[in-house]
This record gives sequence, C-alpha cells and structure tokens, in this order.
Amino acid sequence: MAATTPLPRAAGSPFTWLRAAIGERLFYGLIGLVVVVVAWESTARMGLYKQTLMSMPSSILRVAMEDVTNGSIWPHIWVSSQEFAIGFVVSLVIGIPLGLAIGLFRRVDYLLSGLLAGLNATPNVALIPLIILIFGLGIEAKAVVVFLSAFFAVVVTTFSGVQSTARRHLDITRSFGGSPWLGFRTVVLPSTLPFIISGIRIGAGRALVGVVSAEILSANVGLGFYIALKAQFLDVARAMFGIIIFGFLGLVIGEGVRAIERRFEVWRPDLHH
Amino acid sequence: MERHLALSARGVQMEYRDRQSGRRLLALENVDLEVPDGAFVSLLGPSGCGKSTFLKIVNGLLRQTAGEIKLHRVAKGREDAMVFQDASLFPWYTVTDNVAYGLVCAGASRSAARERAQPYIDLVGLKGFGDKYPYQLSGGMQQRANLARALAVDAAILLMDEPFASLDAQTRELMQAELLRIWNAARKTVLFVTHQIDEAVFLSDRVIVMAARPGRVIADITIEIPRPRTLEVKRTPKFQEYEEQIWKLIGGQYEPAAGATAS
Repeated sequence: MAATTPLPRAAGSPFTWLRAAIGERLFYGLIGLVVVVVAWESTARMGLYKQTLMSMPSSILRVAMEDVTNGSIWPHIWVSSQEFAIGFVVSLVIGIPLGLAIGLFRRVDYLLSGLLAGLNATPNVALIPLIILIFGLGIEAKAVVVFLSAFFAVVVTTFSGVQSTARRHLDITRSFGGSPWLGFRTVVLPSTLPFIISGIRIGAGRALVGVVSAEILSANVGLGFYIALKAQFLDVARAMFGIIIFGFLGLVIGEGVRAIERRFEVWRPDLHH
Repeated sequence: MERHLALSARGVQMEYRDRQSGRRLLALENVDLEVPDGAFVSLLGPSGCGKSTFLKIVNGLLRQTAGEIKLHRVAKGREDAMVFQDASLFPWYTVTDNVAYGLVCAGASRSAARERAQPYIDLVGLKGFGDKYPYQLSGGMQQRANLARALAVDAAILLMDEPFASLDAQTRELMQAELLRIWNAARKTVLFVTHQIDEAVFLSDRVIVMAARPGRVIADITIEIPRPRTLEVKRTPKFQEYEEQIWKLIGGQYEPAAGATAS
C-alpha cells in the first residue's frame, strides 16, 4: 500500500517518513486521533466547560495508569471479555448454520422467519430483567444478552448471502453433474462468505453493546459496571477510561474481522489494492 | 464413411405457462435435429426463438415437455459439456480450479482434477495464467478458461451458449478463429448457439436457422466452405452469399407485414 503512494517532494521530513513506515491508513487514523485529543485537552484547560463533567485526556491517562498498575481494571476487562466471547461465539455457532438452513430450504424459512422477525423486533434491553431472573446475576445472563444482541445480525446477513447466490453459478454445478452437496460447498458457501463476514462484523458491534447494556443494568464486575459505578461517584476520568477501553476493543475486533476478510477473499478485487 | 450421431432430437417441445395471464407459451415447437459425430452445428436465430432453451434441455438444466433427446454415449466422461455465456467462472477460484471444476463435479479429487486440467489450459492459450483469478483476466481470456472447463471433462459434444456475445468485435473474431483451431485439435462435436450470422457461417458445417413465437426450426443450411478456414474467408463472395441467404430468412421475421411467415 505504502509503496504505491507517490512520494511527495519533501521526502525526508519526519511526517513523510512516518507515513511511509506505517502506511497511509494508520497514519491518517493517528492524525485524526491526535487532533481530537489535542482539541479536548486544550478546550478543557481553557475552561470552556466543567472539567468535572467532561474530564480531559491527561487526567484520563493519569487514572488509567493508576488502575493498570494497581491491577484494579483487569478483572473488569477479563469478565467483560468472557461475556463477549461466550455470547458472540455461540451466536456464530448457531446463527451461521441457521442462516444457511433458512436460505437453502424454503420450508425452514417459512417455519422460522416469522418467529425470528418477532424476536428481533423486541428491544433486547426489554428482555434483560427477565434474563437476569432466569440466569441469575453472573456471567451466564450477560452472555445470553450478548448472544441475543449478535444473533439476529448473523442469521439475517447469512440468510441474505445464500439468497443472493448467483443462479448462473449454481447452474454450472448442475450442468456438469455435480451433487447438491458439492454445489453447497463450492458455490453457496464461497459466495455467502462475504455476507457471513459482514454478519460477524455487525454482530460483534451489537455484542459489545450487549455487554455494556447488561452490565450497566445489573452487575458487580465488568467494564459496563465499572463505567456506571465511576459515573455515579462523579469519577468522570475513570468512566471515560472505561468507555475508551470499549472503543479500543471495538477497534481491535474490527481489525480482526478485516484480517479474516483478507485471508479468505483474495479473489475480491476491491479488497486488495 | 459411416458417421455416428452425437445427438439426435425428435419432436422436442417446451411449453411454459405464463404466471400472470395463465396462457401457454411455446418456447420450442416440434424441434428435430441430428448432429453427426465431429460436426460443428450452429443454432441461429433472434432472441426468443428458443435456441438457448434447446441447449439447456440437451444439457439437462431444463426438462422438455415433450419429445426425445438422445446423446451418444462415450466410454468415459460426460456425454455433453456446456460453455456458458459471460461471467460463468467462479470468481473465488483461480483459472486452474475453474477449469478443473467439471472434473470435480464428475467425482475427481481436487488435485487429480487440477492435474488433468493442465493440458486444456495450455490448449486454449492460457499457459502461465493458471493461478490468476477471473477478475485479473480480460473477457476473451475468461471465455478461453470457460471453454477449457468444458473441454477438460472430455465430453462427446460441446454445447456453447453464445460464448462470445459479450466480447468486443475484434476479440470476438480472434476467438472464433481460436475456437476453430481448438476444435480441430480436440476433435469434438459442437452445438453452438448464436444470434450472429457471420459467426455461425464462419464456424459451422451446418447452420440451423430458427424463428420465434413459437420457437422452431425454419432452415438447415450446409456451409460448403472448405476447412481450414481463416478469417479472410469472411471477405469471400461465397461467404457473403450464405450471410445474405440467412439474413433473408431471419430478416423476414422482423417485417411487420401481415401474413408473411417465412417457412
């Protein structure tokens, strides 16, 4: 990527060097971040608003260092990660095959799509009290909320991927006498894969939201709980720190999905330029 | 010399029922056709004459509503193999995997199929492009791969469904000449569907002219231009006579004058 960027005249300046070293995407991403951080810090220091309500980057960094070095933040990150991982993985394990089945078999579609649409229309937050009643206050309940948050996105995108499989590609397998199972493996799955990856990306985002909403409503550990607790005690810097961790986790997950995408879809011209 | 029939069709009919009006549409009416082993025969006609439908029936993608189709069986491989219109390669497969796919459908393992596909990749002029993906190829090269996939299954008859329709004029002519070269090397029977008169005349031993509504055969013209043919043949008077003759048969269908049916 960096190699294809025409070198500007001011070659040798530190910025040009950095851009070449880390790539344009990361370079401009960092510039965006730096601009926001500097604007936030300076407006806070100028006293344009109450620092107690908005905090500022340097304070957040200071409390972050404290909580990281004394170790108090780790249990929250660990528990939230477990809730996320369990709920999300289960949503993929059930959601992808189910989406494939609905897309492949008309009768499965008729059987389930009404139920799924109804359940999808129900706001997940409305279900949380009930889920806590059934699954208790531990990790299980949060994993269920995460599962429900991600599940529909995974099912629906997988299903629409199967539906959009090109007729002319399916005809090729039939034309050469290949079995339906071969057609599924060699045509339906590869052409559905980009949709499944979209489902994973959207599902991961929803799953993170699920973690926070479940923990804010009821928990005694976890990042959502940490944010809610610190905000209640007007420890805005720590609440902001929690939010930033979530943002960072979201970013890491997004990059992970991008890596999967590149690995599986070398045949898509738009993905590797 | 006694020649076997690669294909014989008797009274083939294809009827659709229109969902909205409930009326019956005859896509094909009573089509008879015999293709001798090793011949190059074209089905030529305007859109809606059922030429592609006929090809799909031969291939087994569609089932006729009446009539009978017989394909000459060979010892190994399929009886027939289809060369589709544009964009029929799998974008997620390399050229080699695409060419090998027909063999995989016939039950070969992926590695065995890839190995057996190799000579056909070379034959169609794609040597060195085996690891490319379809998006990295030009339209003409994609159709070469498409042709190689059909050749690789070693079928008795090749069914070609307007394979050059989406190519630009120059590439199309080049591919026509290439097809004759490959046909000569591979010794296949070909049933070729096209709506281009010059393409049909240039390639074929026989041109079957079809008409629409209902789809039917209106003429069977033997092209007596000696082989091997080069593209220069298209400039000869004899070639142009054939074009003229067929144009009149087809052109007649477009005339709005009442009662004038060409037959």
